Amino acid sequence: MFMPLDGVRIIDLTHYTAGPYGTRILGDYGADVIKIERPGGGDPARRIGPFYHDEPDLEKSGLFLFLNTNKRSITLDFKTEKGKQIIKELVKDADILIENFPPDVMPSAGLGYEELSQINPRLVMTSISNFGKTGPYKDWVGLDLTLYAMGGNMWGSGDPELEPLKTAGRMASFHVGYAAALASALGLTNAELRGQGENIDVSYFEVTLQSIDGRMQKLLGYQYNNQVPMRVSPGASLGLGSGIYPCLDGMFMTTAGAAQFPNMARMVGAEDILTEPGWDTVAARSRPEAAEEWEATLIPWMLERTTKEVQRACMEYGVLGGPVNTIENLMNDEDFDARGFWQTIDHPATGPLTYPGFNSRIHFEDGERPARRRAPLLGEHTVEILKEIGIEGEEVSLLRSEGVI
Amino acid sequence: MTTTDRRDMTGTPVPGTGKLPLEGLRILDITVVWAGPYGTMHLADWGAEVIRIESIKHFATSTRGQMARPPLEFVRLRNTGMGYVDDEPGERPWNRQAIFNTHSRNKLSVTMDLSSPEGQEALERLVAQADGFLENNVAISMERFGITWERLSAINPRLIMVRMPAFGIEGPYKNYRTWGNHMEALAGHPLLRSYPDEDPSRGPSGVPSDAAGGVGGALAFIMGLRHRNKTGKGILIEAPTAENFVPFLGDFVMDYSMNGRVYTQLGNGHPFLAPHNVYKCAGDERWITIACRSDDEFRTLCQIMGEPGLADDSRFADSLSRYQNRRALDEAISRWTAEQDARETMNRLQAAGVPAGMVLDESDVHADPHVAERNFFQEVTHPEAGTHKNPTTGFKLQNTPYEIRRHAVLLGQDNEYVYKNVMGYSDEEYQKFIDMGHVGMDYDPDVQ
Repeated sequence: MFMPLDGVRIIDLTHYTAGPYGTRILGDYGADVIKIERPGGGDPARRIGPFYHDEPDLEKSGLFLFLNTNKRSITLDFKTEKGKQIIKELVKDADILIENFPPDVMPSAGLGYEELSQINPRLVMTSISNFGKTGPYKDWVGLDLTLYAMGGNMWGSGDPELEPLKTAGRMASFHVGYAAALASALGLTNAELRGQGENIDVSYFEVTLQSIDGRMQKLLGYQYNNQVPMRVSPGASLGLGSGIYPCLDGMFMTTAGAAQFPNMARMVGAEDILTEPGWDTVAARSRPEAAEEWEATLIPWMLERTTKEVQRACMEYGVLGGPVNTIENLMNDEDFDARGFWQTIDHPATGPLTYPGFNSRIHFEDGERPARRRAPLLGEHTVEILKEIGIEGEEVSLLRSEGVI
Repeated sequence: MTTTDRRDMTGTPVPGTGKLPLEGLRILDITVVWAGPYGTMHLADWGAEVIRIESIKHFATSTRGQMARPPLEFVRLRNTGMGYVDDEPGERPWNRQAIFNTHSRNKLSVTMDLSSPEGQEALERLVAQADGFLENNVAISMERFGITWERLSAINPRLIMVRMPAFGIEGPYKNYRTWGNHMEALAGHPLLRSYPDEDPSRGPSGVPSDAAGGVGGALAFIMGLRHRNKTGKGILIEAPTAENFVPFLGDFVMDYSMNGRVYTQLGNGHPFLAPHNVYKCAGDERWITIACRSDDEFRTLCQIMGEPGLADDSRFADSLSRYQNRRALDEAISRWTAEQDARETMNRLQAAGVPAGMVLDESDVHADPHVAERNFFQEVTHPEAGTHKNPTTGFKLQNTPYEIRRHAVLLGQDNEYVYKNVMGYSDEEYQKFIDMGHVGMDYDPDVQ
């Protein structure tokens, strides 16, 4: 089994969510990811919950365990002179370096692209920051909430009578990390073809501005018709038959709209309506009042069925729809199980746990499926990695006593 | 890499500049709706020759709009900001729609009729000349046209095929047609993000999943390329949108897996930080988000609010008490913001190091000084839509300058180039495809 990034070495100076998610993806594709952590506490994500059995512990953060599979951990203070030398030594043989410090940190530590590309001209250096390395906001601080508010589709998300809503959890950060993985892969392609390294500037703000999650197309659409689209209820942008409706055992989301309405009419056994005036053409069904009129038929039909029954009907009739699930429902869903999506990964601090599986599935000729290594303990691979660059024995003890590692 | 010459839109070979990472690669694209086209957008952006395979006899739902020829009533009913130029569908609505025209820059378009033997022969010729094939249709839609990995890889053993329907090409949902929002409902997202004290049916439904799936598909292609460079052989990779999205909820999955905990209706709240919310400002629909990660940030916020005493109030003195009394805190902040200008407040708070971001609407983004200085928009002229500022990329490769090289592709715009130069048909044969109704720049009159 040949993994696409076998033999590719990544120096990972990222922490929290976005950067680690990006390197997690590259690790899944086979890269050797060397995660540099601060001596003592390591990646601050180790101190963020959820924790296993709610016990705060550097080795029990679910966020950290999930984001850092397939990586090796070395503790290193790269702001010390010796720490800096070790980074430079690692960079000699590295293909990619990824970091997500504020824009000034790496250059002021003497580890900017200028310096590192002298050591390794083929190096791809990917820097992730809130607003990019240039521009008036470059030093601004942010969290998923504030950055999504500015870049993402928050203004257009939610109910028109209530406040705008962000996406759940750390969703924007994950997207930024994924974009950073793609950018790094593009940089690596160029570096290998042309021997030319790359200095990549990933801006959280711009990744969300470019997102197809209602933002990018609205930025063009605004110029098309000068409209700033107000928030609409779920799926209601297409009207007729679109929304979240109650069922026997939960709620169900559908989208129809005047164009795709006929399939929904057939699904609920109301196909006769398609020949009635007011319902027989797309133009007629675009009447603003059609949506509410149709609910008088749709909602009673939903209320007699379970979400699973409605889902099967949607699949049969080609109606767009999905059950409004909890994470528990998701983890018991038949499809993810049948595809073998979930993975069980053992870890000394937590025992075996269920993790989300791979984003992509490579169909190897022999049908083999790659495995994942658990997240590393803090500094678990320090000695091993130092040995690879020729640092052994007493030198290691000295580094330890000086607090470098 | 293939040795295919790079060509401009008229088919004339252009010497490769050697700058764009995917230059010289040819990718066939039967993607629909958002996730797939967003994925091939990234590949086209960075140099690949992405050829959209379309049909003038069949309208791919929700791709070049909802319908080929939407009635005016339908166009004007909507207020989603994703409509048509000047709200006029025009002669060829399929070339004037905002969603399609955002993600289809830098691509090519060929039309063929895959339901006929001649169309199938054309497809085989095209596949033989391609490096990649990306699609995101439910399995049955592709099987109907004989598009399977077995057949395509037999035609071209070096082909990299990336299949990215919502639930993949195997399993009980392989023919389950959804958009991103329904798949997200199934994956738990709308219930997690909906309002804390309202009926969940009032919550939003977005499609960050489509953004995840698109990036996942583009990355999968590049990984397939590396596999081919090493082994000399093509490969099939599935990048299902659902499986690209669920990891975005990874911390919630882990909490359930570790502690059996199920969250719902979190709104703009944070599991342990306060303040962490959106606040109404002066004016119509002006909002600002503010969050504090430390006592220091909170103290600074209180000073800027002109209420330094709040930081010493026992209800807000440390992070735990702020979290426990977050509603009272939100009320205090809202009272202040209601009188404030959103942008000015954001600037003041940020200058003092407090995380704040106003909720930018589309007009705000177009007027934003940072966006302008970073050249996020690029002016592009489209022959049927006019001249507009197009969003560019979320990341910059500083040794590889980015530009939108071509406007969003018109339906069938590259037929002659693709049939003659790529598939190798003669003038006479090309004429036959025109006569059979495969080739054109307009949908057939009976296509809705």
